[in-house]
Amino acid sequence: MKKRIYFLITLLSVLLLSGCGGAADTEDSAGQADTASAGEEPFKESSSDTKQTLTVAMELAYPPFEMRDEAGEAAGISADLMKAFGEYAGYDIQIENTAWDGLIPSLQTGAADIVISSMTITEERQNLIDFSDPYANALLAILAGADSGIRSVEDLNQAGKVLAVKSGSTGHMYAEKNLPEAELLVLPDESACVTEVAQGRADGFIYDQLTIYRNWQNNLDTTTAIFIPFQDVEKWGIAVQKGNQKLLDELNAFLADFQANGGYEELTEKYLAEEKKAFDELGFQWFFDMKK
Amino acid sequence: MKHLKQLFWISDNNGQHAPQTARMFNKKISRPAALFNLLLVAALWVALFWISLRTIQIRLDFTFLGEFRIRIWNGFLATLGLSLFSLIFSLLIGILSAAGQSSSVLFIRFFCSVYVKFIRGTPLIMQIYLFFYIVGTAWGVSNRFTAGVLILSIFEGAYIAEIIRGSLLSLEESQLEAARAVGFSRRQTWRFVILPQMITRTLPALTGQFASIIKDSSLLSIIAVIELTQTMREISAVNFRLFECYLFLGILYLCLTLPVSLISERLERRFQYEN
Amino acid sequence: MKIKFQNLSKQYEPGHVILNPMDFEDEVHTLAVIGPSGGGKSTLLRIIGGLIAPTTGKLWVDSDEIRQNEASLQQYRKTIGFVFQQGGLFRHMSALDNIAVPLEQVHGYSRTESRSRALELLERFGLKEDARKKPAALSGGQQQRVAIARAVAARPKLLLLDEPTSALDPEYTTEVLNVIRELKEEGMRFIIVTHEMGFARHACDKAAFLCEGSLLEYGESAQLFAHPETEQLQRFLGKLLEWNV
Repeated sequence: MKKRIYFLITLLSVLLLSGCGGAADTEDSAGQADTASAGEEPFKESSSDTKQTLTVAMELAYPPFEMRDEAGEAAGISADLMKAFGEYAGYDIQIENTAWDGLIPSLQTGAADIVISSMTITEERQNLIDFSDPYANALLAILAGADSGIRSVEDLNQAGKVLAVKSGSTGHMYAEKNLPEAELLVLPDESACVTEVAQGRADGFIYDQLTIYRNWQNNLDTTTAIFIPFQDVEKWGIAVQKGNQKLLDELNAFLADFQANGGYEELTEKYLAEEKKAFDELGFQWFFDMKK
Repeated sequence: MKHLKQLFWISDNNGQHAPQTARMFNKKISRPAALFNLLLVAALWVALFWISLRTIQIRLDFTFLGEFRIRIWNGFLATLGLSLFSLIFSLLIGILSAAGQSSSVLFIRFFCSVYVKFIRGTPLIMQIYLFFYIVGTAWGVSNRFTAGVLILSIFEGAYIAEIIRGSLLSLEESQLEAARAVGFSRRQTWRFVILPQMITRTLPALTGQFASIIKDSSLLSIIAVIELTQTMREISAVNFRLFECYLFLGILYLCLTLPVSLISERLERRFQYEN
Repeated sequence: MKIKFQNLSKQYEPGHVILNPMDFEDEVHTLAVIGPSGGGKSTLLRIIGGLIAPTTGKLWVDSDEIRQNEASLQQYRKTIGFVFQQGGLFRHMSALDNIAVPLEQVHGYSRTESRSRALELLERFGLKEDARKKPAALSGGQQQRVAIARAVAARPKLLLLDEPTSALDPEYTTEVLNVIRELKEEGMRFIIVTHEMGFARHACDKAAFLCEGSLLEYGESAQLFAHPETEQLQRFLGKLLEWNV
């Protein structure tokens, strides 16, 4: 009888292992959603009277693009842009606060329909999700410690230099690819990165110009900012689940319309008036100036 | 047929000399029955998981992890090291703190009591930021691993202090009275009566606390202490493979915590019979 | 041995009086302390044993005053054997260690001496096979026999027993009382707080009646039981006779 039981157990184990093997497929397009069935009605069904709901995910920790107002509601440039899109295309927009690392996965699983979170369009990301036409551009800049002696991005690429980056950001990607000598400090919060630089624990922090500018203004005694561009302009795009062509077309149509009707000027006036002035003085290309 | 039944069902107590509630949990299970049922449970979970993945149309590919095996191994060792050092220091802090709470010097008494209440009353994430960026910077603590051990030890020490205090309180008065009657001095009472009984009482809880230390150490990743969770976060950020990374992370943590919980169970059972 | 106390009383907070001021002086061989519950018998026994300090009064044993500071009390306790009603054995030690460890640590016996003395006593009390067992594995009667062995191992000048059989099943009571009687025949002096009136009457030469914190009667047990003088003792004995076999 014991022998029979052990045989049963062995049989079960074999089945189990093959089941596990099935769950971990090794296609080279792994990590993607199945192309065939995506793009069909990823959102809830509703009657013809009420609008369809679109879930928009963003990380509400990036003023003035993604942030909360006093009442705690999602607000900012990206939120306004989405509300305008909702009106244009006839959707009810629901904004979900999502951690940065979870944005792409939320599209992959269908938990969100759209991700707009000041996310740069990159090749690696395009393997997993689809981007709309770019709606803003940005450059990376460096927040350096006042006593760090950093004058340019090459100064960071030396042994002994500590560079803080936000996990998963383009600053992180850039540093991984181009600054192998620097010791990377990968942190989940921007504010932690800024603190590290301000306290002298890190020599620099690479992030987008706007954030660097603002944080520099907040920490004038302990930091300096370096705006010499060291890479090509990054473009931000709105992301959707791979294959969702219908939504993508609607977004692109909206963006063109928004641009033509001066929507970006309104947003700049509302949120970034001061910064626009500073950027003009420093001679930087403005966010919504998509000429280059 | 009876053998088959034994695979699925366990009848009452087989002559154990233990309290009824202990008997409920500690019934003797035969090897084949244990294996069989473990496999059934594993099968259920794998099936659930597989169905979930299928539904949201995600395919998992773990092969890329091979490229990072050195970093992952180093992170694993770092977590182990962090946990072991923290265990030692937190034990020290816990014992001192429990003793301090019964001190005749009022200042020491209040100091320890406030320490325990504050640490147990605030989340670890707050303590990490507070101690690292404020206290740590002020006192020039630059090595992150050291800072991590200190912060984690301070955190866990408060919980261990309460475990020790609780077990001291649970000592029976009659045992202490007997010690006096027998002629033991205070030191002898500690050495021969209190400490041996306390060890049996606290050891199961302490091993449980060690498992907590292992898991809590993952939070040190927010100040970029290079341990397992931070390593996985860095890898997943660059590879966009959140699911595979964190699933594998979970398995690695289980490799650390499962042995600890097995030891804890065994200790619990052993001391059950002694009392 | 002579025991004397003067103006001995015990109270906790004001208002919570356990023992009213009392005096006593006499030679003690085998003394039974009887009386209704809550009368202060256990407290008095513990004071005599140096485990509790009296609120007022002084205590002399064989003309030596027992000073109420921890150092002298600790020395005094070494000369007294104490048996508790229950829970007196160290639950994490075997029966053997319960007896041997105090011998070694408190009375300075060598390791071999303490072990052999312990085994000798265990064998004498019929517990040779149970030497390695922990208290939880022993019956109530066995536990009390070990407790008595531990109390007499260092040949104390006085043995104090606080209701040693009250927590036992009747079947175990006899074996424990037999052990005590054996000890008496060897010359061991003891004071026993007990509800076993038969034992008190026939095995103890003197008896003391404690009621509501006062020592109401004292004398030869035969006399005390046959002719109780105070009303309280009469009532106490009368109640007991109701259910006697």
